[in-house]
Amino acid sequence: MTRYIVQRLLLLPFLLLAYSFVIFVIMQAPPGDFLTTYVATLSASGSSISGEQIAMLRHQYGLDQPFIVQYLYWLRDLLSGNLGLSLEYQRPNAELIGEQLGLTLALAVMSFVLTWLIAVPAGIYSATHQRSVIDHLFTVINYIGVATPNFMLALVLMWIAFAYFGISITGLYSPAYADAPWSMAKAGDLLKHIWLPALVLGIAGTARLTRIMRANLLDELNKPYVVTARAKGLREWRLVLRYPVRLAFNPLISTIGWYLPQLFSGSLIVATVMNLPNIGPLLLRALINQDMYLAGAILLIYSFLTIVGTLLSDIALAMMDPRIRMET
Amino acid sequence: MLHGFAVRLVAGLILVLAQLTPGVAQGGKYHEAPGLAEQVKAGKLPPVEQRLPEAPLVVPVVEKVGEYGGVWRRAFLGPADANNYVRVVYDGLFRFTPDGAEIEPKIAAGAKSSDDYKVWTILLRKGARWSDGAPFTADDIVFWYKDVLSNKDLMPSPPSWIRNADGTAAKVEKIDDYTVRFTYDRPATLFLTEVANQDGADGSYAMFLPAHYLKKFHPAYTAKEDVDRMAQAASFKTWTELFLSKATLYQNPERPTMAAWAPISRVSDPVFTLRRNPYYIGVDKEGNQLPYIDEVRFTYFADQQALNLAAIAGDFDMQARHIQMTNYPVLKEQEKNGKYRVLAWPTFGGADAVINFNMTYKADPEIGKLINTKDFRVALSIAINRDEIKESVFLGLGEARQGVPAPWHPYFPGKEWAAKHTEFNRAEANKTLDALGLTKRDAQGIRLMANGKPATIEISVVPAFGAWPDVAQLVARDWEAVGIKTVVQIRERALHFKLNDANELMTSLWNEDTTAFPFTGNAKFDPRNVPILTLGPLYTRWLQSGGKEGVEPIEPIKRIMQLVDTARTVGHDGQVQAAQELFRIWADNVFEIGTVGLTPMVQGVVVVNSKLHNVPTTTGNDWPLRTPGNTRTEQYFFAK
Repeated sequence: MTRYIVQRLLLLPFLLLAYSFVIFVIMQAPPGDFLTTYVATLSASGSSISGEQIAMLRHQYGLDQPFIVQYLYWLRDLLSGNLGLSLEYQRPNAELIGEQLGLTLALAVMSFVLTWLIAVPAGIYSATHQRSVIDHLFTVINYIGVATPNFMLALVLMWIAFAYFGISITGLYSPAYADAPWSMAKAGDLLKHIWLPALVLGIAGTARLTRIMRANLLDELNKPYVVTARAKGLREWRLVLRYPVRLAFNPLISTIGWYLPQLFSGSLIVATVMNLPNIGPLLLRALINQDMYLAGAILLIYSFLTIVGTLLSDIALAMMDPRIRMET
Repeated sequence: MLHGFAVRLVAGLILVLAQLTPGVAQGGKYHEAPGLAEQVKAGKLPPVEQRLPEAPLVVPVVEKVGEYGGVWRRAFLGPADANNYVRVVYDGLFRFTPDGAEIEPKIAAGAKSSDDYKVWTILLRKGARWSDGAPFTADDIVFWYKDVLSNKDLMPSPPSWIRNADGTAAKVEKIDDYTVRFTYDRPATLFLTEVANQDGADGSYAMFLPAHYLKKFHPAYTAKEDVDRMAQAASFKTWTELFLSKATLYQNPERPTMAAWAPISRVSDPVFTLRRNPYYIGVDKEGNQLPYIDEVRFTYFADQQALNLAAIAGDFDMQARHIQMTNYPVLKEQEKNGKYRVLAWPTFGGADAVINFNMTYKADPEIGKLINTKDFRVALSIAINRDEIKESVFLGLGEARQGVPAPWHPYFPGKEWAAKHTEFNRAEANKTLDALGLTKRDAQGIRLMANGKPATIEISVVPAFGAWPDVAQLVARDWEAVGIKTVVQIRERALHFKLNDANELMTSLWNEDTTAFPFTGNAKFDPRNVPILTLGPLYTRWLQSGGKEGVEPIEPIKRIMQLVDTARTVGHDGQVQAAQELFRIWADNVFEIGTVGLTPMVQGVVVVNSKLHNVPTTTGNDWPLRTPGNTRTEQYFFAK
């Protein structure tokens, strides 16, 4: 086990190097560069920048250099622990990402907890009471949850909030608190706003998780060991929770590591639609504007977390289920 | 308000020596915002008399003298939207008047030119101060000239407005603390029009910079190692990036400003906030120091739709930018609930959707030849049913017209030219196309070209201001009705411009918004400019390469370039003549097909809080005017 972990950790830097190149290639793939997009943005809002000004900026940002030179510059910065400078914001990427990190995590953890709190009990109940009225009800809700794109849900909820309650739920704070320093009042204001996005983000996950939990548990419930345990007189709840549920968890545990990158990036589309200040919209914006160093920094961290997350999943699974051992 | 436009845009000898009479100053009785009065009492600020220049700028009010206080809530779309701020503060030495007809002194006290327009003298206000209290003098302009404009690292070549005929920069010198002289080797008749836009827009350097502050970041004044160290600490590769960032107001709240409001956060923050500048040089007629409004707050929106939803809910106090014209009916409907009023400021001439032909299209020579045939272009123009476009896309607002100035503008060439080739006449269009030899048709009724291929026009559209794809679809239907197959390609912006540069676009749909300023900025009529629309990328290449590559411009386009050159060296009357001839050529040759114009499409649907006063109901609305900056935002106020 230890050997396996060490091996994987040793591989990490090489994987990241490979990723960094792929990311940079993809960043450069769309036509034009940051300035082409910048000019387009300016022209779309009524202004027209001069060719001279563009040439000056392109030179200043080093965008007139060949691809490989730009990549090597980036790599050199990365190796010295510097995530580089955002072309659009003209501020260090690390600072920009850091600013959004707290809220991104808060939101993601909340929706994660919400998802598991609802999904696991619902899944267990559905499986143990298969084809009951409540099971069918859960099933219908789950299908709707899975089938509705959550940005659509966000828009609908926002419209309802606006049209019927007269409140606009965009952003995470009331205007008065948006740039105020942290205080109890601001935290309270945040709590007032954060539940809706957390719910929207959680719903699709909840639905999917409930279905998986139900299906897994149903497989286990018919196995001979359950029948044996029941025959031995073990009380039903104790039996279910102690054995089949633990096994049914395995597929969930093996994907829990996938949450790690998600925690970091937030939900791109929902966050954009709901105007939430987290890393998702930052990434989307960087991609649209071809702010390649910022997008590159976020994607690289994302890749890193994906690798680590998978590793953590493997470890967690081995801990949960003694039958699983790493083959090396 | 807009009728009195028959005034000089740039007039003769002594242009503006305005408001030098210190009428309001008599008795030293100025008034200030309560917040500032408190600071004065606490000894943190000098009294208002000492903060204002000897002869402050007296700003006329639209309705009445206002009251102090309040926060102006706005929205922006992130750092690339910094021009949102530029428009609100319009921080120039001179600025356009609300109707756009004249240029008035703002930070500067006035300007005068020599008889031959070669020498311009700018007068500054004695006693004017930066927002940190340091004096604003001729040295701040000389610093810009000597250490920024003439520094090869910061500016590889001088911008065209300051260039002599031989490409070098005009001479700029300090006469005394409050007088700066610009000496050109050519007549610079458009000097003030240009100066009115040297306000740091588009991430450029303003033509006046706080020397006392910026010297800290310039190697001519501070040891190079120190500057380099600062650059590195801020993650910049070179000192030039650091300097630009430090000189850019919306990136650096430390940097002193002359505008009515000074940033206290950055445009890269979720809320970009401006607070009143206690040293602002302007007062109203009763001697109240401006601005009336305490703060301007720009809230970040990641998405334009969310911004529009917030506007409908009444979350902004005055905003036109990013409000989509398609929301005009909804906004009107919600006026009462949202406690706002909706104004419509039509565009400053031109047309709000034009189909621009690429006169140097090469990929298909047959099509290229047709595009170069005037009769073909005219036929396509009259084949379009503009009334339908106006009703269904522009909500019935505006009028059918070509891309020429508005009727109230001195450059307007006359009604017949604005309406040239805009009368819908399908029969005539068919007749013309037949006469061009496009008589054979395929099974679908599409005309066949000489090489047997169906005549096909592609319209490249970027959904930039909203409803352009709809316009393209309607045009496509009209063109197919006369037997020209039409493909509408909706493209992502960057790709569209890349294809444009590569000469691969056949036609493109955009707006014609440079008609009020055909001789300055990036007017779309002159292929020497590098604007958004170009009538022929290969013309541009031919001109840039001195005739070695590309395609030589045809006669009418050469004439347009001549007219532009003439206009730059003659007085107002000569400019009017040149402009009118230019627009007659433009409308007659249909290098672009104008559809509908004078709608509030471009930042012209204005949502104004019911309590906000002194916002004009109509005004010149254009980028060079920095609308709403030209409406003198410092005199907006909230009624209690």
